[in-house]
Amino acid sequence: MSQKKGIPPTMTHDLADQAKTLEGRSEQIQATESARKALLARRRHRHRYSLQLHIYLSFFLVFLFVAGVATALMLTMYGVEKKLRFLEIVGEYMMEIQQARRFEKNFFLYGTNLNDAVENVYQAKQIFDNNSEELRKILGKSSQAIIMSNLRRYETMLERLVDLEQTEVTNPDYPLRKKEIEIELRRQGQKMVSLAQDLMKKEKESLSEAILRSRHIHIYTPIFLLLFLVLNAYLLGSRILGPIQRFSVHAKQIASGDFTPITPERRFRDEFTDLAIAINQMIQELKKREAVLIQSHKMRAIGTLTAGVAHELNNPLNNITITAHMFLEDYDHLSDEERREMIKDVVNEAGRSREIISNLLDFARESGSQLEPLDLPELLRETINLASNQIRLSGIKIELQSGGYLPRIHGDRQQLRQVFLNLILNAVDASSKGGKIQVLVVPADEPSYVAVKVIDFGSGIPEHILSSIFDPFFTTKAGGKGTGLGLSVSQGIVAKHSGRILVSSVQGKGSTFTVTLPVTTIPADIDSSKNLSGRG
Amino acid sequence: MPERLNVLLLDDEPIVGKRLKPALAKIGCNVEVFENPREALKRIEEKDFDIVVTDIRMDEVDGIQILEHVIQKSPRTKVIMITGYAMMAVAREAMEKGAFDFISKPFTPDDLRKVIAKAAHTLGSPIDSEMAS
Repeated sequence: MSQKKGIPPTMTHDLADQAKTLEGRSEQIQATESARKALLARRRHRHRYSLQLHIYLSFFLVFLFVAGVATALMLTMYGVEKKLRFLEIVGEYMMEIQQARRFEKNFFLYGTNLNDAVENVYQAKQIFDNNSEELRKILGKSSQAIIMSNLRRYETMLERLVDLEQTEVTNPDYPLRKKEIEIELRRQGQKMVSLAQDLMKKEKESLSEAILRSRHIHIYTPIFLLLFLVLNAYLLGSRILGPIQRFSVHAKQIASGDFTPITPERRFRDEFTDLAIAINQMIQELKKREAVLIQSHKMRAIGTLTAGVAHELNNPLNNITITAHMFLEDYDHLSDEERREMIKDVVNEAGRSREIISNLLDFARESGSQLEPLDLPELLRETINLASNQIRLSGIKIELQSGGYLPRIHGDRQQLRQVFLNLILNAVDASSKGGKIQVLVVPADEPSYVAVKVIDFGSGIPEHILSSIFDPFFTTKAGGKGTGLGLSVSQGIVAKHSGRILVSSVQGKGSTFTVTLPVTTIPADIDSSKNLSGRG
Repeated sequence: MPERLNVLLLDDEPIVGKRLKPALAKIGCNVEVFENPREALKRIEEKDFDIVVTDIRMDEVDGIQILEHVIQKSPRTKVIMITGYAMMAVAREAMEKGAFDFISKPFTPDDLRKVIAKAAHTLGSPIDSEMAS
């Protein structure tokens, strides 16, 4: 590296890294944006069928049905009324006809009442004429015409009979003519009566039909209404309860650090779609905040490490100070060889100082999420190295053991280092001076998972707080020494890697934190949803 | 010329001993340098030193243990502790346990010479810490 450029190697490394980070971040933004677009596109393709519409529509349908039933009942009633009126008219008409026929019979038997018969026929005609409008509607024009012509014919016969009666003495054909008319008259009368009877019979049948129909309407309406209401209640209920269940499952996922956005699952949109979009926005916000939280927790860890680094830095600094002072003091008496040796010492110690802070600087550098294949034992060595000053300062021994060949995992180096650093620093805090910490990398019990165990032999964690140690802001460290975010943030990071943190602790004997991470051949995208096939 | 002071210097950083030995020799000290605290302890058993300068934080045996050992074996010996940043609590503990003084890293050879001169004065065999310069 030439001095002309004036950029130390770490700096160029920094710049390259920053570029990589920026690239990663813009990819992340792009991914989020495309997911959002997809969601919106799917939204547009789906019909909006809101709950409000569903409720209004079902009420409207019930109303329509009831109104329809009421109309049908009213029409039936109207029909029944009309039929009754018709029957009344036909009844009166029938009575007149029958009366006429009775008089006609009397005339043929006793020679009386012929005029009465004519009178009755006239009455019948009158009835017919008066109600012709109504009758025509029911009978139709042709039937009305037939009845009318029959009546007229009967009347004509009677009139002819009356005429014949007046010529009884003079006409020699009288008995023959009378007989002829009598036969014709009887036939005609018979026809008229049977026609009217037929008519009444038909009308009566139709009336009872109408009454039966009205009864059916009364019986089936409540049954149908009940079925409809039950079905609607079921549909509405499952429409509301289904999403609520999904959302509560999702809320739990979010709480455990899984920020998979909710994906559309139904063919239509409704208020829950709006809610899902709002929740997805909230998830975006939470993601941003989590990133801030992870960063701020990292700064906290850096603060802890700084004390160790500052202490460790004193050694090379002291060596440089002493050597430089002695170099100055004895300059004139020193041989070239001695001078060279002293300057070499200064250079070496300066290099050592840089080494001490470079780890910390590397860790402190802010960077976005970047996935790469990681060798866990190596990552842990780095992490232990990072915490080594702190560990040495506390007078604690740390041991790293890895069990044979272990496949690599895919993950974010910085974030996982933060998790392990946090666990190791916690273990340091839990151990007493002269204690020991064990870090093991072994295959997990589940296939294709690797487990990292951080074991301390400190005082252990009381059972009653064991369940809350992963809660945010829960801390047992006194006086603002802890933020209570370490394990919460660690859990979030591990969850993003589809892994788990488990803890087991025996009071007085120590605690074991186990991080299991999946061995992946295909890199999982930490930032966008890691299981798109999963239900949202 | 006063009697030379017998000084034991213990620090696990080799450069400290290498550079301070001639620096202290100039003001009339017989300096024995150790990097390993166990070897230093063995030597303390054999010989009574006037002054022991020890680093507080070392891997196997720490400075406090050295201090306790020296005071038990030879109460007149002055023990000077070398401490680092953020170790004020340990420094205080050392003072309570009978250390003569402490000096914080990073220090210059003159800083140490002054403390040693002070200790020599207390011992009744004053030396001139300015002799070297």
